[in-house]
Amino acid sequence: MSKEIIEELNEAKDVQQGRREFLKNVCVSSVAGLVATSTPAEAVVDASNPDADVTVAEFFQGHFILMSNEEKQQAIARLEKRYSAKYGKKTTVSDVEAPDGVLFGYALDIGKCIGCRRCVHACVKENNQSRHDPEVQWIQVMKMPKGNISFSADQLDKGYPEKSKFGDYGVQVGGNAYKTAGFSTEDAQNYYQDDLVPEKDFFYMPVQCQQCEKPPCVKACPVRATFRDHAGVVLIDYNWCIGCRMCQLACPYQARHFNWGEPNLPAEEMNPKTHYFGNRPRMRGVMEKCTFCVQRTREGRDPACMEACPVGARKFGNLLDPDSDVRRVLATKRVFRFKEEAGTYPKFFYYIG
Amino acid sequence: MFKQTKKVEVIMEENSRRSFFKKAAAAVGVVAAAGYTTTLISKSTASTGDVRAKYAADVAAQEKAMMGNQLIQMTDDEKKQRLEALLNCHYQEIA
Repeated sequence: MSKEIIEELNEAKDVQQGRREFLKNVCVSSVAGLVATSTPAEAVVDASNPDADVTVAEFFQGHFILMSNEEKQQAIARLEKRYSAKYGKKTTVSDVEAPDGVLFGYALDIGKCIGCRRCVHACVKENNQSRHDPEVQWIQVMKMPKGNISFSADQLDKGYPEKSKFGDYGVQVGGNAYKTAGFSTEDAQNYYQDDLVPEKDFFYMPVQCQQCEKPPCVKACPVRATFRDHAGVVLIDYNWCIGCRMCQLACPYQARHFNWGEPNLPAEEMNPKTHYFGNRPRMRGVMEKCTFCVQRTREGRDPACMEACPVGARKFGNLLDPDSDVRRVLATKRVFRFKEEAGTYPKFFYYIG
Repeated sequence: MFKQTKKVEVIMEENSRRSFFKKAAAAVGVVAAAGYTTTLISKSTASTGDVRAKYAADVAAQEKAMMGNQLIQMTDDEKKQRLEALLNCHYQEIA
């Protein structure tokens, strides 16, 4: 290669490399700049961006239970800021912990329930559920014909408690034991549209999360986004939920609801008093369910459904307290087991008083 | 001599501004295509009809799960046993 050509080549290379280096540096610095500005929460959680459903900072946050107090406060501040901007009202997100010495239980008198669905609507309102397309309801009221009670009186003197090597638990065999010694949901209607309730010869049975003591949904969750708190309530960290729906499959009561789309919650109907694990607005792609109104019950108030019931069919209380309403129901009323075979030990009892 | 000049031209071509822009355009194209595909996918999953159908399927599943169940009256012993089991489980967890 002649000397001239080599010089020419070197010169050209120098020019090209200089330019290339410059462009490379520009690219690297712009990418670094972008990352740096997007990492702090404040860069994304901005009142000018109220529609952002999950901010970058939220996306990268850990499980709420495992956060330090400082991280929790930051997460809550982010949410409050975003919700306040999005819904145009001062929104609070509480992280009050479950009280000690409490195991929440619920009892519902099927004999009293009139099927008015006031509990359903109070729940939707309190818990910031999607209002339309569709309205997500955590409580389903079943309407069942009274005629399907098949407790046969002539079998009452038959049957006996079965002894077991694990202990005598008084489980009955024979007699009425293998029949519906109560009633069945065989001909139940979930979506009745009656002008007037209660309809003669019908029972109404609201079904919601049974707050199982051995919850299969918690066992099924691959990321532990759903868990049981020490007051016995099964909760969900919506930000940690990956939306795999395993919990929904596992729940024998089908009490969990998945947000297939963005929930439609009009700003004017949004309840601004929220709890991190409770009624704060959810996003698309996460699971939600009844939490016994954790935002209320952790502060010593009753769940919204109970407050709304016009006939006092609902009782809520502490199972550890022998004088609580729920314990009294268990001690004195005719209580039914529902889906006992699932072995989940629900803390929601149906009874007839 | 002609061969060497050709070689220089090839090297120059490889390092040229045009080549850089070509690569940059290709990269932008790939990113845009990926973004467009993602948008299409998310759009299709989020279409109102689809979403409604999925909600409806969930509701049907719930209805199915609730039908044909029995509510069986518990004996006093069963009630006691249930309460004991609940309390034991709770105290175990607290401990």
